[in-house]
Parts: sequence; C-alpha cells; structure tokens
Amino acid sequence: MIIDVHAHWGPWFFTMDVGTAATNLALMDRYGIDLQLVSASEAVIYDPAGGNRRTAELLEHDERLLGYLVINPRRLDIAQRDLAELLPGGRFVGVKIHTDYTASPVGSLQTTDALALAAEHGLPVLIHTWDAAVLDLAQACTDIPSLKAIAGHMGGPGWRHAIEAARGCPNLYLEPCFSHFEAGRVAAVAAAVDPGQLLFGTDATLIDPAVALGAVYAAELPPGVLDSLLWRNAVDLFGLHSLVRRIRDAHGPERLARTAD
Amino acid sequence: MTSGARYLPGIEPSEVCDCDVLLGRYPDRPGPVGDPASVRSLLDRLGIGQALVCSLRGALWDHASGNAETSATSEPGFVAVSTVDFRDPLRAERTLESLAEQGRKVLRLFPEEQHSEPDFPGVRLVARRAAELGFLVLLGGDVRRMWRPFAGLGATVVFLDTHFYHLGDLLALARDEPGFHTSTRLLNSPDALELVCADGHADRLVLGTRSPLCEPAVPLLRLAKSDLDDATRAAIAGGNLRRLLEGRT
Repeated sequence: MIIDVHAHWGPWFFTMDVGTAATNLALMDRYGIDLQLVSASEAVIYDPAGGNRRTAELLEHDERLLGYLVINPRRLDIAQRDLAELLPGGRFVGVKIHTDYTASPVGSLQTTDALALAAEHGLPVLIHTWDAAVLDLAQACTDIPSLKAIAGHMGGPGWRHAIEAARGCPNLYLEPCFSHFEAGRVAAVAAAVDPGQLLFGTDATLIDPAVALGAVYAAELPPGVLDSLLWRNAVDLFGLHSLVRRIRDAHGPERLARTAD
Repeated sequence: MTSGARYLPGIEPSEVCDCDVLLGRYPDRPGPVGDPASVRSLLDRLGIGQALVCSLRGALWDHASGNAETSATSEPGFVAVSTVDFRDPLRAERTLESLAEQGRKVLRLFPEEQHSEPDFPGVRLVARRAAELGFLVLLGGDVRRMWRPFAGLGATVVFLDTHFYHLGDLLALARDEPGFHTSTRLLNSPDALELVCADGHADRLVLGTRSPLCEPAVPLLRLAKSDLDDATRAAIAGGNLRRLLEGRT
C-alpha cells in the first residue's frame, strides 16, 4: 500500500496540463498509490479560503483523496473561519503551510502562531522546508509539544539538516519529494532517522510520482522500513485505520501486501 | 521494484543510451567516487547499456588530462565525451580543432562549474567553433540563458539541465532551432515528456540520468510509465541519441 502525504490538485503556472483531480487519480492508478492527501494549488499560491472550499467539494466525490486545509500564516482570521466551517465535514485531516508563497519563514512569529493553531485542533501540519529551515521546524516542535509536523521535501538540498532535526525531535516527520534527486538521499536519511518518522510524499501533480518512488525504490530499504515509510506511519499519524480497513475490505489483503511490486 | 530491476521492459540494455554520465567526483561535496567500474556496474543493474561519459577532472581542473582520462576508460558501452574550459577559450578553440581532426566530435560543457555566463566572450567563441566544427554539444546550465550563444548557428545541442519549470522556454526555442535537444532528467512533471511529443518534438528528447550523482531510477521510471507508444519510448531511451552520435565518434 502507498499513502502519499504530500500532493496537490489544480493548475500550476508552468507549462503543464494537470488542472483537474482526474490527473491525481490517473497518476495514483499508474503508480499504485492508494490514498493521497491533497491541498489546492489555488489555496497554496493565492487564495486559501477559495481553494479550501473547492477542495472540500472535491473531497465529497472520491474516497481516495483526503484534504489538507491550507493556512496562510498572514491570515489567521481566514484560517480560524476555514477550520470552523470545513473540519466538521471530516475529510480534512491535516494543515498545509507554504512558507515561500506566504513569505512566512518557519521561524517567523506568524508561522509559529499558525503551527500552534493547527496543534490546538489536533491536526498534523505539512510545511514546506528548504535547507536549514528544517532545524527551525524542529525548534517549533520542541516549543509546541502537541504539534506534529511534516518537513515537506525534508529540506530539499538541505536533507542533512533534516537528519539532525528529526533525531532530536520525535514529533517531526520527514517526507522526501524533490524534483532533483541526489543519489543516496533517501537511503542516508532512512539509515539515520527513527523509521517511525518517515513518510512518503510526491508533490503530485506538480511533480510526477516517478521521482519520489524511484528514489525510494533505489534506496533498497528493509521491508519493514519501506512499509513504515510508504503507508504505516501515515495511517498512525493521520488516524486512517478505519479507512484502510475499508480499502482492505474492498480490494482484498493483497492490496496491502504489494508495497514493493 | 528495486534499483536492481530493469525499468524499461521491452527495450534491451544495448538499445538504451544515457547522455549524462560523469566520472570522478566533485571535491566540494559528498558523493560516490565515480570510478569507471562502479559506474558501469550501476548502469548494468538498471539496464543501461550505452552511456556518454565525461570526467570531472577535465571540467574542474585540466581539460587535457581529463579528456585523456575519459578516453582511457575501457568499460563496455562507454562513449568518451571530451570537454574544454570556458575560462581559457583560446586553448579551448585549439582543443576543439584537434578533436575534430581526430573525429571526436562529442563535447560536454560545464558553464556553471566554470562560473561562465552565456554572454561571456569566451563562451561565445567556444559555442561558435563547436557549431562550425560539427560537434554534438552536451550543455549544462539554465536553458533559459544558455541557449543564447548557440542560437542561429545550426548547432546541435543537448541541454542537460532542462527543468520542467522551463519547459515552455524549451518548446519556444525548439521552433526556431532544429538542433536543440534536451535530456529527460528533470522533465519530471506528470506530462512534460508527453507535451514535448505532442508539440511535434519527440525526436528532441534523449534519456539522461546524471549517474552516479543522481538516482538513475527516476528518469527511467518516468519514461517507463509515460503515456507514450513503444516506438517513441524506445527512441527517447536511445534511438534519438544514437542518431546524434552518427559520424561524431
């Protein structure tokens, strides 16, 4: 089984045609991804309120997609309203924060407040991290003990900082997506970090899942670690046990056993 | 699937040709040693039979001894790629003329490693002479900038660092420059390969992995899972590059 904890839906401003959720589902089928946690590109880049609502509509139609509620740390008033209105639907399971598009570094006051808000609601936070910013995220996890944070891209080229950050911080999780794929990156992180802190993310539909999957397969992880990374840790972190049981009932136990095919 | 698996079913390793393989290592960063035998072994495990290899010695320090080192590799399937240094364009020009006389007309250029911008006079000289002498040029750097010194020369170029963020720029260039090609290495959005083909440029795509510094499984898996027919996939895996190599090695 594969659970992708870092995905988007909607159009991008690059030369690509991935504007509808049909692309998400086609890619999931192509690569054997069972569940995908998505945020709207619209919400990430420009309009969180509008994008979050369009994600809510989307989530009504396919059980394989779950939602991230996007928070712009500069607009916590919007975030409060979105949380109040959209969480009761039960299809949003986490919060997404992009530090660059909102010019809100991990260590800024507004992002600290946004992380605290998510923690108050018991929602894991996927947050964009680059280079040494992942160390600031570890500090936030220490300062907000109830926070569970996922370092998106595990720092990108700064993945060695991600190792340092995760080793001192059990409520910090790492996911590997990155369009540049330095050899040995996933294997080195998996060898140095508690397997319980590893997650799988693709950055689809911006990036094709071949990138993250290829890098994970190339790492040749022990089967138990591979299962933890690809889905088991996500089930525990996001509380997806009943949903996974339904998938098992619908598709048979072999669906859960074909992780590395 | 593991890194030992072949990613391109239906395409024999001897038909797969990688435009972007490096020997040696960067002294300023960790990474594999890049000795020829270990690189050959890595490519074998992934089903890559042919590879255009170039030594970082030539890119970073001395192109004469680097080219000699590359030429001395005897690993099967390795095609030696020469290099010159933009920072000494006059020596580079002499080297290009010598290589051309020997029929060795595959050249890799490293503008970023040599801190050379596309508007530097030395870059213009090297680009002009490489085009005049009929080299196949494997070119690093940002395609949005590095196209300039090669434009309008009838040059045959493979851009090695084309990121899918810049796909629109590449397609705009392809309309005017029939000799411009690109590595698939960073064309890893869900539809980049397919969009290039839909725009009529399937013959401009060549497989590139940057082994052993990058994970070769990634572009292989992307190509294997592409929404392309078998003939196009095979051309991208090796046929297009072999066509560019004809008469140049």
